[in-house]
Amino acid sequence: VDILLKAVGDTPIMKTKKWAVERTRTVQGLVDFIKKFLKLMASEQLFIYVNQSFAPSPDQEVGTLYECFGSDGKLVLHYCKTQAWG
Amino acid sequence: MTDDKDVLRDVWFGRIPTCFTLYQDEITEREAEPYYLLLPRISYLTLVTDKVKKHFQKVMRQEEVSEIWFEYEGTPLKWHYPIGLLFDLHASNTALPWSITVHFKNFPEKDLLHCHSKDVIEAHFMACIKEADALKHKSQVINEMQKKDHKQLWMGLQNDKFEQFWAINRKLMEYPPEDSGFRYIPFRIYQATTERPFIQKLFRPIASGGQLHTLGDLLKDVCPSAITSEDGEQKTQVVIHGIEPMLETPIQWLSEHMSYPDNFLHISIIPRPTD
Repeated sequence: VDILLKAVGDTPIMKTKKWAVERTRTVQGLVDFIKKFLKLMASEQLFIYVNQSFAPSPDQEVGTLYECFGSDGKLVLHYCKTQAWG
Repeated sequence: MTDDKDVLRDVWFGRIPTCFTLYQDEITEREAEPYYLLLPRISYLTLVTDKVKKHFQKVMRQEEVSEIWFEYEGTPLKWHYPIGLLFDLHASNTALPWSITVHFKNFPEKDLLHCHSKDVIEAHFMACIKEADALKHKSQVINEMQKKDHKQLWMGLQNDKFEQFWAINRKLMEYPPEDSGFRYIPFRIYQATTERPFIQKLFRPIASGGQLHTLGDLLKDVCPSAITSEDGEQKTQVVIHGIEPMLETPIQWLSEHMSYPDNFLHISIIPRPTD
């Protein structure tokens, strides 16, 4: 599935924002990937939000999120080092 | 005729008699007696087992104790799934009390999320409610609420206060008068036998012609193997809160009355017992 990553606040911005990800990739897997890409430490927190309204569970599959909350052929996810939308 | 509100109470106060036993390989200073507890179906394991933890920690050395986790017949139990769902999915149709094994070592990182404090449970609970409202109302109702209303939902669950919880939750169960129901129904379908964690898709409660979609319609659409009968026999049971609702039940009604406090309908598909 196609995802678009958007940084929130003063979180570093990913050079590549658009990614194609397997449906079965979990949110936790995505978090680990972004952390590696941004060279964040494993101990630093990273929060991911869907529709700028909720943070999905780490074990949730990206495919399910795309089916339920995707639009125009992609899933938009906001990421942030601090809690943005609770 | 039972009032619909009675259903809300029956769901809230559902309990599962459970026997907690310490895993035999845990190192103890004295013999560990099993601990019996009535678990609320609508709550989460790590929210209601403080007494269990205290009971077993009394017979263990301090150094041996790290994060508690629970297992049933070899399957680690995900604390972030509601207790009633875990039971329906793994232990329906078995003899009561439900026998759960308690562990303090070898936390299964691949299977379970960590739960270091009640704040983690609260965050997960509120995230589910927000996701459900994103489906039902495009998040409009949950976003219009104040922080104290969100807190009240959590406190109601944590302290087992039905009235306190539903004073706020009823707003999440409303819909504009011009509609006949929610935008989409928040549901998750679980099967112990499949690889996928659960099925969750977009599903409208009202058909284009205005008829109410039923539980049967939902299953036919997203999980047809649950209701197709082979040899004319029904091989599976569709269970919510320990009962098999009739497939003709409108899914909008089920969503309003038989959702868990996180506002999701957690549905288990399990093999029908053969005897």
